[in-house]
Amino acid sequence: MTLLVALLASTFFLSNALKLEYTKKIQNTPDIIITDTKAMRETLIDENLVSDLLSINGVSLALPRVYGAYYFSKADTIFKVIGVDEFETYPDKSLNALLLKNTLDENSMLVSKSVAKILKENYYDSYFNFVNADGTLKKVIIDKTFESKNSFREEYLIVMPKCTAKEIFSYPSSMVTDIAVMVANGEEIGFIAKKIETLLPNAKVNIKEDLLVEYENRINFKSGFFLTIFIISFFTYFVIIYDKISGLSSEEKREVGILKAIGWRVSDILNAKLYEGLIISLSAYVIGIIIAFIYVYILGAPLLKSIFLNAISLLDDCELLFRVDYETLALLFFLSVPLYIAATIIPSWSVATHEADEVMR
Amino acid sequence: MIELQSVRKEYKGGIVALDGVDLKLLEGELVVLRGVSGSGKSSILSLIAGLSKPTTGEVIVDKKRISKLADHFSTLYRRENIGFIFQKYNLIPTLSVQENILLPLVPQNLPKKELESRLQRELINFNIESKRDVMVRNLSGGEQQRCAIARANINNPKIILADEPTANLDEKLSLEFIKLIKEMKSQSRTIVIATHDPLFFDLACVDRVITVKNGKLL
Repeated sequence: MTLLVALLASTFFLSNALKLEYTKKIQNTPDIIITDTKAMRETLIDENLVSDLLSINGVSLALPRVYGAYYFSKADTIFKVIGVDEFETYPDKSLNALLLKNTLDENSMLVSKSVAKILKENYYDSYFNFVNADGTLKKVIIDKTFESKNSFREEYLIVMPKCTAKEIFSYPSSMVTDIAVMVANGEEIGFIAKKIETLLPNAKVNIKEDLLVEYENRINFKSGFFLTIFIISFFTYFVIIYDKISGLSSEEKREVGILKAIGWRVSDILNAKLYEGLIISLSAYVIGIIIAFIYVYILGAPLLKSIFLNAISLLDDCELLFRVDYETLALLFFLSVPLYIAATIIPSWSVATHEADEVMR
Repeated sequence: MIELQSVRKEYKGGIVALDGVDLKLLEGELVVLRGVSGSGKSSILSLIAGLSKPTTGEVIVDKKRISKLADHFSTLYRRENIGFIFQKYNLIPTLSVQENILLPLVPQNLPKKELESRLQRELINFNIESKRDVMVRNLSGGEQQRCAIARANINNPKIILADEPTANLDEKLSLEFIKLIKEMKSQSRTIVIATHDPLFFDLACVDRVITVKNGKLL
């Protein structure tokens, strides 16, 4: 019972924490992201399209972005590399703040503390030799380190000039990873997205809201991995309840018979069973919630988190943020405590109303 | 006074346990019901205790028609008047000695002092003081029985009913039980013992030995 509450609560907590995480993350996401497609695959897009996009009424910003994942084989770690231009303003406030404080030249970069630590462990104290996509080496100086986990929600982050990032990923000079578009009036996002689709028929246009809905659908308890755990837990729980409600064991029956025989009225027996059910279910509820809290928010939900993230194809790591969710706590309470008490009392009542002699036989 | 008038007891499946039993027991009397297993001895005890009701006939205790009482009242009658010692002791194995002994007093909400003094009295009387906190499943047969007697006695019942009390005891422990019964008799309790143990039949303290056979008194 305790384990079931803990499992269900862990899943609820994890799901809520992920929702909160991605809601926060998505706040820094542009309203529209445009990539090109070739043979149904997303590919690089021409940054010169920015001027066409800016000509659409309602578009307040069109930003060509360069970023990618760099695999550092020695440490078996993937760095997220972001290319920036000091004259540009980014939808991500943390990135803007970072760039305001630092100026980057062509061969320098800013790295997160986690990246700096890994590089240092591999004897790269002041610079790093990137292996470009074409096999050549690119030496980039570490200009500064920054704290990334709380503000960027990405642990292994490298920020460098766009031209350097393009060189490392071997992008053609006019091509970028995608174009981020900001819309002045949030209600016009869908309309403008349709305009962009008409303007660029080969482009893939992603809307922030769609992304949010997609995340929510994947994380939400109505679908996917969560639903599987939810159904399994509930099935097990109801088997326990059914087992309890379908009748007392011979030992329990005998106990009720003994109590009647020594002068306990039916109401006395039901009172005792009420307290028994209350103590067991309430303890299971409280202990289950505490276990789930420790497991998810203190230990970071080992195993379940990675299974969950893999199952919903959100492979990048994230921090589990705590928020008291009264709905979840109330739902778990009503599922565990009153139901269990009822399942304890009903069969006892049905037995206790028989003659003591008959019950003990 | 306990009186059974033309009592017939039939169990499910048509098994007749008692057939036209008439019996009168006086206050303070120690009566032994003898007979083989299935003869109907336990059914008589069960009817006197109000644990079951006769199919026909009447059970009257101190002018009260026990057989007509509703479940709620027959439980109260049992609480106030009856101390039952079961053949298999019927202790609750997951509770300690003191918890088992105090069990009949739980619904009465007596003050803690009163509970403690009654418990202490029973523990001393039945020589199980040292086992006070031991789980009853860890007790020997004799200790379990003394615990069961202490439980039956804690309400100061007027009537003590014992069903095959020595069935699971060796001779030494059976004699110890007889000693305890003698003490209870000296307190003017009415005692009915259902047994087929010959140890009881020639005891000086036994007022009457009644033979039960095929649901009838001989």
